[in-house]
Amino acid sequence: MAARGHVQDPNDRRLRPIYDYLDNGNNKMAIQQAEKLLKKHRDLHCAKVLKAIGLQRTGKQDEAFTLAQEVAGLEPTDDNSLQALTILYREMHRPELVTKLYEAAVRKVPTSEEYHSHLFMAYARVGEYKKMQQAGMALYKIVPKNPYYFWSVMSLVMQAISAQDEKLSHTMFLPLAERMVEKMVKEEKIEAEAEVQLYFMILERLGKYAEALEVVRGQLGEKLTSELQSRENKCMFLYGRLEQWPECNALSRKLLLKNPDDWQFYLSYFDSLFNLIDQSWTPPEEGNHSAEGEVHCSVAQAIGFVEERLASEEVKETRPLRGPYLARLELISRLRQRGSPDEQQLGEPLELMFQYFVKFGDKPCCFTDLKVFLHLLSPDHYVQVAAFVNRLTEAVPLGPVGEDGVALPGDTRALQRHLGAAQLSRCLGLQHALSTDGKLALIHELRAHYRHGLQFGKEHVLWQCLGLLEEGLAHSPSNAQIKLLLLLLFCRLGAFEPVVDLYSSLDAKHVQHDTIGYLLTRYAESLGQFAAASQACNFSLRFFHSNQKDTSEYIIQAYKYGAFEKIPEFIAFRNRLNNSLHFAQVRTERMLLDLYLDADISSTLEESVKNMSLCPEEDDIPWDSLRDNRDLDVFVSWNPKLSKEHRQLSLEEESLWLRLRSLTLRLAGCLSGLCHSPQAPPPATPHAQRNAEKSAENGVASKPADMQPLLGQLERTLGQAAQFTDKHQQYPFLGPPPTRLPQALANGSCQCQLVALQLPLHVQELETSGLDQSAELQAQIANLFKSLTVQLQDMLNKCKGDLLEVTDGRCRAQPSLLENLVFFVETVCVVLWVSSHCSGTLRPLKSSLQKKKKKKKETSTVTVSTSWLVWDRCTRLQTLLSQAVEQIQDQESSLTALKLEALSLEGLPQAEVKDTFSCDERTFIKAAMDKVQSSYLRSLQEVGDLLRKRADTLKSLKI
Amino acid sequence: MAYMTTLRGFNCDDLFKFNNMRLFPYPLALQYGIPFYLQYLAHWPEYFVVAEAPGGELMGYIMGKAEGSVAREEWHGHVTALSVAPEFRRLGLAAKLMEMLEEISERKGGFFVDLFVRVSNQVAVNMYKQLGYSVYRTVIEYYSASNGEPDEDAYDMRKALSRDTEKKSIIPLPHPVRPEDIE
Repeated sequence: MAARGHVQDPNDRRLRPIYDYLDNGNNKMAIQQAEKLLKKHRDLHCAKVLKAIGLQRTGKQDEAFTLAQEVAGLEPTDDNSLQALTILYREMHRPELVTKLYEAAVRKVPTSEEYHSHLFMAYARVGEYKKMQQAGMALYKIVPKNPYYFWSVMSLVMQAISAQDEKLSHTMFLPLAERMVEKMVKEEKIEAEAEVQLYFMILERLGKYAEALEVVRGQLGEKLTSELQSRENKCMFLYGRLEQWPECNALSRKLLLKNPDDWQFYLSYFDSLFNLIDQSWTPPEEGNHSAEGEVHCSVAQAIGFVEERLASEEVKETRPLRGPYLARLELISRLRQRGSPDEQQLGEPLELMFQYFVKFGDKPCCFTDLKVFLHLLSPDHYVQVAAFVNRLTEAVPLGPVGEDGVALPGDTRALQRHLGAAQLSRCLGLQHALSTDGKLALIHELRAHYRHGLQFGKEHVLWQCLGLLEEGLAHSPSNAQIKLLLLLLFCRLGAFEPVVDLYSSLDAKHVQHDTIGYLLTRYAESLGQFAAASQACNFSLRFFHSNQKDTSEYIIQAYKYGAFEKIPEFIAFRNRLNNSLHFAQVRTERMLLDLYLDADISSTLEESVKNMSLCPEEDDIPWDSLRDNRDLDVFVSWNPKLSKEHRQLSLEEESLWLRLRSLTLRLAGCLSGLCHSPQAPPPATPHAQRNAEKSAENGVASKPADMQPLLGQLERTLGQAAQFTDKHQQYPFLGPPPTRLPQALANGSCQCQLVALQLPLHVQELETSGLDQSAELQAQIANLFKSLTVQLQDMLNKCKGDLLEVTDGRCRAQPSLLENLVFFVETVCVVLWVSSHCSGTLRPLKSSLQKKKKKKKETSTVTVSTSWLVWDRCTRLQTLLSQAVEQIQDQESSLTALKLEALSLEGLPQAEVKDTFSCDERTFIKAAMDKVQSSYLRSLQEVGDLLRKRADTLKSLKI
Repeated sequence: MAYMTTLRGFNCDDLFKFNNMRLFPYPLALQYGIPFYLQYLAHWPEYFVVAEAPGGELMGYIMGKAEGSVAREEWHGHVTALSVAPEFRRLGLAAKLMEMLEEISERKGGFFVDLFVRVSNQVAVNMYKQLGYSVYRTVIEYYSASNGEPDEDAYDMRKALSRDTEKKSIIPLPHPVRPEDIE
């Protein structure tokens, strides 16, 4: 626990045991001890706060909050209470309350450096930049220390960065910040490197590059020492911006002489060189070429320079650097771009690249190095490309040709060369059927071939591939790439069960939950593994939530250590995670999942919605700033990189699907708000409370008026989605996985859910207009109900069949049946919520009608038929659900009865299988099949369970 | 524009690029939690450097800090983490990153640079020896057990900087120490 003040204070002695209990996680004892202490010392506020911390940590958030507010209301000024409250508020995720706390404290003790500095940090935690600026200056006035002054300056910069209006940044915040620093410069009060860094940041943002250059090259610049080459790097950047090509060139040259392997300076050397040539720049006849020394301004000089660098590598005894060799290729590439014949002086690219391969081919990076320059081979010219690859292949030292006709590399260096040649050949489009046996390290290559086969949809290759990968994993149990590929194949086969272990063995950490979490969350729920799906969402959510708290702490540290340039970076990092597509997805899916699994089963829809503090009138997804943080290159591939178009399309598809899901969720939330309970219980958590405060501002519960626009959005989005899927996008096999969208549209679940969600509005209308005058409306409602059951029946029909289909002793997986089944269940959930809601609305109408009937002895035939129809539909729905449950049971038993060992592999007759595959291979393939079978069974069980529960709730539904 | 072998300061966006599981089985690992990295970025940004390859792939990174008392001549640079992705090994990148960290520590007026390494990691120990480091002391059970493996000792390896003219800082201790005895 944080600082405990001075040891002399008797209160510290009294509080000590409570702190200790809290530190040891013994919250109950901490609460008891605090209560005991409070009996004796009623005014020992800190004890109250510590009790509140204990309560908070044992899940009693409401009590904790009330207690904390009691103490905060007294505006305490003792260290113990303030610090304890700070900790408590942080744990409650209410950092804004800390600012109130210290605002009161500095009001009461206006000269306290400590409280002022806590106030500044409290503002920093919530990003109140303007108040930070004032707090920083207030601090500086009390204690004139430089850091405080520059905290205030930095807060101005942050106001500039966060301002919506860029003009305001450039005309007000930044110039003000600049003047504040200039004042210190004039008074010669600049002390630290951080202060110069900040000055540079301000000038850079203002676009005052010339002034910035003056600072960096001047006396102040001498303070820039922590980072290596900090001054040089800054100068280079500024020369580029100012288009001072002579200085840029001279400095690049100087730095390359010092380090001939620093690639960025070759680039700036060439950039500046060609700019100088284009300007026909010539050096002055007398004096220095430039402020940075000698300038190169002709192609001949550049060629000479590169060749000198090469020559000094050639005579070196230590390992040669790659830089100069690659610089030669870069220069050729640039000369060719300009159509200059001078490139010939440097040599033939094919020959040079071949030599590079000879020199560096045993390094794994050889491929990535050369990839950049392959265009110099004129890839359309097949003969030249083939000749190149042939020469490469010949340069690989392989052993004698073995019995099977394959020559194998003798050591790892040769192996690496072999791999490099194969990769280059693949990248150039020359697919060599290089087969290798025995060497498991070559599995990369085999995989590529198998994957190639996969694209053509031959499923027997899929089983083989799974078998091979299982074998590979058995030999290299920590090979991440094999795990990823297995994971992908199992997912595509619809078998999620084995994926759970594979993913957890990848040991994904923090940011990886964001970058590769999609591999997990895309499939878990859609394949009917609800428990695993919840868990997968939780992993990600835990990371995202802790990020918000963590980053704030380090923003504060950056102020303390004067790492000003890191502050906007940390904030951008936090935003990047907060705006993550994956975050929005798991947030939405987690809540939907909870509703599917629970709402109207163990608790009412209303309670469920409340418990998750879902606020349907508020769209919590930052659509305009959504960040796609997925790592779509996580699979090894030597193909050309995933295209920008595919990335873009995938993001578009993901966003459409997310929009549909989020609208469904919010509509379900509205449905609960439409319910008939006038008084809501007090919200459970501070978070819920905040939402409740918000919703109170917007009017109490949701109204039909809230549903209407959401339904409109849902309809529009469905239209866009249909247009999108019409274009029929196919991503590369190792590219982004397609969303559930195409299938959701194809099996009709989206349309069915839309119809269902429209019903409550009509029923609401019926409620207002009364039963007597609404024949038309009633007929409409009846029709909608009717069409719902028809559509559901239709969906159920699309789930019929065996998940593992066996014909003629061959085995074929049909994962789409499983996915359809999950869509069916999800839709049933929505339909049942709606039905339950409608029956709740219709019930009082009906009873009032019956009363009337008693009086009047008239019968309204229409009304009777409507009620009857709704009731009838519920009965039919019940029949449908029983039918579905039975269907699933059948699928389960036929799956269980399946004897996989008796099967041959699809596409291959039994006898051939025996010949083709070794005993080992067959064992691995069998193991993979077993996993798929077991996973299907589990999915069927989970889906079946949920359907049975839903069927039970339907029974209790009567109108 | 892509850089071939470019050293630059680590930034938060780099955290998103750590799925470098290419070519070889073992990914360039992010062994610590986010707060740990942010702490280093906030406190010692100059000591946190990445090497970048074409297409922006991370080749490797080094992370360190400056600590210790100047008065007791223990002010020094410390290597917290050094990692090079498998496909960029054997290029001398680790040496380059270490050299850089030493240079920064020189400028800060450090007396030496030190690092901890598992006693069993012979490859790393040899590499550091080649770079001029020597074992200063053994720290008993410095690495706690995980994944069923027992606790392991660490070597505390040091290299003197120019400020330590007599190379006093690297005279090996005769006895091993316990983790609680080191600062």
